[in-house]
Amino acid sequence: MKWLNEEKFSTIERIQQGFDDVEYVCTKKIATTLYLAYHLGKPILVEGPAGVGKTDLGKSAAIYLQVPLIRLQCYEGLDESKALYEWKYGKQLLYTQILKDKLNDLIQKSDGLSESIEKLHQHDDIFFSSPFLEPRPLLKALQQQEGCVLLVDEVDKSDQEFEAFLLEILSDFQVSVPEIGTVSATSKPFVFLTSNNTRELSEALKRRCLHLFIPFPDPKLERKIIHTRVPGIPDRLRKQLVSFIQQVRKLDLKKVPSISETIDWARVLLLLHSDKLSPDLVRETLNVFLKFEEDIRTVEEHLYDFTEKSLARA
Amino acid sequence: MDQILEDFISALRGSGIRISISESTDAMRAVELMGYGDRGVLKDALSAALAKSQTEEEIFEECFERFFAFDAFSNRKTDSAGPMETDLNTQDSLLTQMLLSGDNAGLSVAMGHAARQVDITGIKFFTQKGLYIQKIMQQMGLEGLNRDIKRFAQEDMKGRAEKLEAAKEALFENVQNYVERQYDLFASSATEEMIEQYLRNIGLSNVEQRDFQRMRVIVQKMTKRLNTLYSRRRKTANRGLLDFKNTLRNNITYGGLLFEPKWKKRKIDRPDVVALCDVSRSVKAVSRFLLLFLYSLNEILERIRTFIFCSNLVEVTHVFDEYSVEEAVTKIDMGVGLPIIMGRTDYGGALLDFKESWLDTVTDKTTVLVLGDARNNYGDPRTEILREIKDRSRRLIWLNPESEPFWGTGDSEMKRYLPHCDLVRRCNTLNHLERLVEVLMRTATLH
Repeated sequence: MKWLNEEKFSTIERIQQGFDDVEYVCTKKIATTLYLAYHLGKPILVEGPAGVGKTDLGKSAAIYLQVPLIRLQCYEGLDESKALYEWKYGKQLLYTQILKDKLNDLIQKSDGLSESIEKLHQHDDIFFSSPFLEPRPLLKALQQQEGCVLLVDEVDKSDQEFEAFLLEILSDFQVSVPEIGTVSATSKPFVFLTSNNTRELSEALKRRCLHLFIPFPDPKLERKIIHTRVPGIPDRLRKQLVSFIQQVRKLDLKKVPSISETIDWARVLLLLHSDKLSPDLVRETLNVFLKFEEDIRTVEEHLYDFTEKSLARA
Repeated sequence: MDQILEDFISALRGSGIRISISESTDAMRAVELMGYGDRGVLKDALSAALAKSQTEEEIFEECFERFFAFDAFSNRKTDSAGPMETDLNTQDSLLTQMLLSGDNAGLSVAMGHAARQVDITGIKFFTQKGLYIQKIMQQMGLEGLNRDIKRFAQEDMKGRAEKLEAAKEALFENVQNYVERQYDLFASSATEEMIEQYLRNIGLSNVEQRDFQRMRVIVQKMTKRLNTLYSRRRKTANRGLLDFKNTLRNNITYGGLLFEPKWKKRKIDRPDVVALCDVSRSVKAVSRFLLLFLYSLNEILERIRTFIFCSNLVEVTHVFDEYSVEEAVTKIDMGVGLPIIMGRTDYGGALLDFKESWLDTVTDKTTVLVLGDARNNYGDPRTEILREIKDRSRRLIWLNPESEPFWGTGDSEMKRYLPHCDLVRRCNTLNHLERLVEVLMRTATLH
């Protein structure tokens, strides 16, 4: 099994630089974990609140490595046939119909049941061979010749059985398909698992992964992220809006705005050609980063206070 | 594996992070890759390999800071004692030399070395602290130091002797702090484990208020294990032999060709429980834990209906539907909004109440749990009603917090209820409760 792109993971600084180039602000911690994951050949389990860029990390890694991204979105009831492989039943049926005459020819010349079965046996695996196999994300990831980034998104939403089933793939990078045999990866995929912590993952799964927790960013980091993602925004406004969001995060809200919401808001403000925050402007655009009516009301109470503070700080 | 990492991992384990062998191998390889050069990088790398959840990460952070804190010697006493001496006598012991020259780095290394020699990681109880301090001092060369002090005093070098005495005191303080820190690092989980073992076996009626929180955690742990244990069995029990009759019947549609086989299904029932709990003062604490326990088993129990009684009997199932288990238990404990009369315990009356209003909740699939000490204040025990309940139920289990020799003494009617129960068990510790689950699951037979 070979590993892709060795030199892209030569140093931690190199990784940080590389991710910066693909517009993902990668902290030292993230870079260190990526470096380790690459050199130890381990998957990374990424945890953190919604919208801090867990999925984006996987996507950016794929762009950085210039390999395809294969994404498996987990949900309750996800099973092997959706995640690993499925037989193409339709194709199998169709082919048996088309080949009916051929099969008849084959059998007719023989006398007796046992001889016919004998003859069929010589061709028995034909309908259960790889042309009839529909690879699903996990198998697809193993089959990639040039490697890939496999993103198993929201693994906590899947059932425990599925989690157990993932273990074989994560530790050995191989799966067994009963009709064909064991398929092992030609080149190791770079695996990310993300979790929102809706349930506790099993010890066994955690043990096989490196753990990375991405928290909400501090103001400095958030400003940098906005700068990378929304380059056109004026410096002063950027500082103001980051300071505002940071204050909002301290409130007791149903859904605290995360980085993706800050980026959205920055984009909206850019579109509106505003150059500084004002209470009215904020009130009109609150719904961009708050998703609940109650939250909007809570923040409105602090509107003037927060805006003033952000203006003062920037 | 190198010694530092090994110690660090056992410190993490001591703080309650579970670290498997494979994880420590990862950590070792991470250290090999990163080296000890950059503190920040080392921390991030070890954190990725060892801490596997947010809370673990927090513990890790704290532990890392403490473990890799530099064991700097503070020597305010020797500082004030005038300039350090540079002319060292080779006759003096190594420790004396270091103390007199104020070689803090050397002392720090010597202390770390001595600590390893006496195996500080084995510290378990706070009572061992003094012992370890002594051992470390000995290992560092206390004997030689004492001899030197004596000699200086005799050789008429009072100043030097005094200075050395002060330095010795400072050294003692440093070692004490060091042992304190090591105790925090390595000992906390051992004590925690002992407390847990102790609490599992303590009589539930004797649990003190301050231990409730801990007990709850233990109950959660136990029930989590039981839930996975039994719910898994339910799933795997779901296969079986070919059901020939059923196959024939189902394949009539295909002109009698046996096209779609049907299988005999084995299925384990989830027990359906009706619990009657005495909440009079003598049994209250146990009832509380039984309810906590039963409702935490929601994954393996089909349905629970709960009644509490003292002078009369009331149903409290709705309280559990409305609130979380812990809130509900507290609510019932205080009896808020429930028409329960907390007078003299009346088993006969309670059974009659049950018979009149709720007897039809008991079917041949129900397991009835009665929890109580059967101390009926010399009233009519109404054993015939218990008999009736038993006959209707699949099984009637009586749990008594008192131990067997006390059954039937004084106003206890246990001996008279005994013949009308399928099973009577003593139930006064968490371990008893855990065993109860096995009994419950066994009653839920296969078919």
